[in-house]
Amino acid sequence: MFILVSLTYFAYMIGFERQILDNGLRVIVHRDEGTPMVTTNILYDAGSRDEEPDSTGFAHLFEHLMFEGTQNIPLFDVPVMMAGGENNAFTNNDLTNYYITLPATNLETALWLESDRMRGLDLAEERLANQKSVVTEEFRQRYLNQPYGDLLLLLRPLAYRVHPYRWPAIGMDISHIEKADSISAKKFYDRFYTPSNAVLSVAGNVDPDRVFSLAEKWFGDIPSGVKTERKLPVEPEQAERRELTVHRPVHAPHLLMAFHMGSRESRDFYILDLLTDILAGCDSARFPAILVRKKELFSEADIYLSGEADPGLVIFSGRIRDGIDVRKAEEAVRSELDRLASERVIAAELDKARNRYESHRLMQYISVSNKAFSLAYHEVLGDADGINREHEQYMSVTAEEIASAAGLTFRPGNSSVIHYLPEKI
Amino acid sequence: MRNKEIKGAPEIITPSAGDTSLPEPVMLGNGVPVYMAGNGTVDLLRIEFVIPAGQVLEEVHLAASTTSAMLTEGTLHHDAATINDLIDSTGAALTHSSDKDTAGLVTVTLTRKLDDVMALASEVLFSPSFPENEFRMLTDRRLQAFQTSRRRTSVIAREAFYEALCGSRSPYGRITTEDDYRRLTTGDVREFHRKHYRPVNMYVTVAGSEPWKALPVLEKYFSGKGTGQWQKPPLPSPVLETSEPGKIFRDLPTSVQSTVRVGWKGITRNHPDYQALQVATMILGGYFGSRLMRTIREEKGYTYGIGAVAGAFHNIGYITIMTDVANAYRDETLSEIRKEIEKLRTEGVSEEEMTLVRNHMMGELARIFDGPFSVADAIRGIIDYETGADYYTRLAETVKTITPARIMDIFNRYFNPGEAWEIIAGSR
Repeated sequence: MFILVSLTYFAYMIGFERQILDNGLRVIVHRDEGTPMVTTNILYDAGSRDEEPDSTGFAHLFEHLMFEGTQNIPLFDVPVMMAGGENNAFTNNDLTNYYITLPATNLETALWLESDRMRGLDLAEERLANQKSVVTEEFRQRYLNQPYGDLLLLLRPLAYRVHPYRWPAIGMDISHIEKADSISAKKFYDRFYTPSNAVLSVAGNVDPDRVFSLAEKWFGDIPSGVKTERKLPVEPEQAERRELTVHRPVHAPHLLMAFHMGSRESRDFYILDLLTDILAGCDSARFPAILVRKKELFSEADIYLSGEADPGLVIFSGRIRDGIDVRKAEEAVRSELDRLASERVIAAELDKARNRYESHRLMQYISVSNKAFSLAYHEVLGDADGINREHEQYMSVTAEEIASAAGLTFRPGNSSVIHYLPEKI
Repeated sequence: MRNKEIKGAPEIITPSAGDTSLPEPVMLGNGVPVYMAGNGTVDLLRIEFVIPAGQVLEEVHLAASTTSAMLTEGTLHHDAATINDLIDSTGAALTHSSDKDTAGLVTVTLTRKLDDVMALASEVLFSPSFPENEFRMLTDRRLQAFQTSRRRTSVIAREAFYEALCGSRSPYGRITTEDDYRRLTTGDVREFHRKHYRPVNMYVTVAGSEPWKALPVLEKYFSGKGTGQWQKPPLPSPVLETSEPGKIFRDLPTSVQSTVRVGWKGITRNHPDYQALQVATMILGGYFGSRLMRTIREEKGYTYGIGAVAGAFHNIGYITIMTDVANAYRDETLSEIRKEIEKLRTEGVSEEEMTLVRNHMMGELARIFDGPFSVADAIRGIIDYETGADYYTRLAETVKTITPARIMDIFNRYFNPGEAWEIIAGSR
């Protein structure tokens, strides 16, 4: 019995080694000999929450500039491709993350590239002007030229009043991107793109000692920078329900309901993550079964966590069927949410969610790039080993915890609701 | 100032594709071939059933995709709610797909739940009941999603391209309307299933750390199904009516961007130029530093992204460039695309650019063959289009040896400006 338990547990462990360079760069290595590849992942602890309210979207715009070359390496992509690699990056409200996946034999090329753009960037006006235009088109393509594309742009300023989560990573408005200048870019770079504000995580077919010595070779002499403490305004507790109605050129109405919840590291996160899986994680979950199939009010009904580091949101998102009144649809969601606090979820529902979590985790960590990012993410939250404590967190969630979290979270006074309706033609 | 003298760049080891060979199939008792891709350490199995039941075989439009979507909506033994519950309680995922040429069911399961999941897969594939009420609800939901998609410029431009290339009467070029959803009946779906979902026509891929563990279970649930022995179904060859090249405009009054699509008729996968065409398309628009990305995104800033691909259905190939741009830039975008192609037709590519693309494609091949799940996907392309098990080995060889002169020849042969469709979907 003991052996069985420890073997099962072992399957969920992601082993790693960690060292911190003198300049503060945290280096994490996970060895996986089942692949010929390696991923180097650099996470900078800087996201859209670190922007000023009048220049939102800057962290993401800056991510684009990181690909625009340096004095030493004018075209970032060329050595990546020569080494047989692929690379990309993303920015969210909390962080900016860069990764290169390439044959493990070319590990050093990736470290050379990443250290070079941490050492210095070519922030020419012309390149900035061009990327502003690219990001403007990205804004249009992803948020404005898609049916329902602006839903989350509308939600954030409704749900948050003071915390910088009140704008999305792409920015509050295209005009903010248009007025970005190279002086602010230089300031942003100097403040955030430093060894002490970054985590380097390497996963793949590599020897940890070799990675540590190469990290020292390429990053060791970069000045550490000053790690500044984040002092973000705390979102006050919401006192009453907020509602916004908009009309857009879409075919069917859409309902969005958001509720404030705890931070990424709170127990709340794991309880509500498992709960949203019970509600909408699969076809047999409550919302698809009841709201879509049984009551035929929605054509799709989802609920998920925004998943940010600071206290985030639980978001219900549902496309309403033709001819159904939005208030009637909302009432049906409301009654499902209310039921959670008064009746315990049944054991079979909890088991199902745990089984699904287990498969999902195994699937996710087949890829070395997912392992590399996750380790870096947990390290920036406080400890890379957090990746190995999540399993226990999910497995130990009880029906009582779910009922109590649901009662606290889904209060009408804690909700921000958007009625997104078709324009009258 | 952080900039300082950089140490010498590390030496790059030229990437190689590694082993690009594909596994030989093992046959079940009734002859159904099972291709196994084994590797990795994770205790999951991904099993895919591929059935020649794509749109190309439809007599009634939407029958193929609806049949596929209805598989989990009720069987002779269980209703939809019970099926969903049975699948979800195992932690498995069961995903159906249907495209122009084939249909498939992918299952991903923990190895210890394999027996339960295969029993269900067999039931949904070969004993669906197509209940009337579930059919009505599903069709309503699909109609609503279809109506939403009509506001997407990218969807409208894609549809216009395949209509021009294949003809509106062919299954590859047909334009779906709301009436197609309203006319479809459970009778059409039942008939499509009866004709095309035959175990003796399918093949299976198994990917995971120990794929052979699936064999006895597959034998148990699939070998006794259907009558007769497995046989390779004939490749369909629909009648196509290709229209004259030229400009096409589709008006979407509320859009803030336009989709620009430039396309040509291409070649099928067994054509001797197919691999060389893959390299040429990569140079034009297949990677971040490609000709089109450099000019239209990085120099002009007209778009967030632009790409080019060459692909093929059973009996026709296509080459297409796509991008979303502000309405004000769409004419300039078209003219820049023309200029880039003209340069490739007259000036060609340098040896330096060739080396870059070679290494990049070798890295890509190495990633395809890293991990059993992506190998299983590669197998699918090869079997569905009968390209021969050595397809990737030949591709790797072409990538290694192709010359700039040959690339120029490909651009002159397949990217003739007079033979292009130039499609814009956006607001007038």
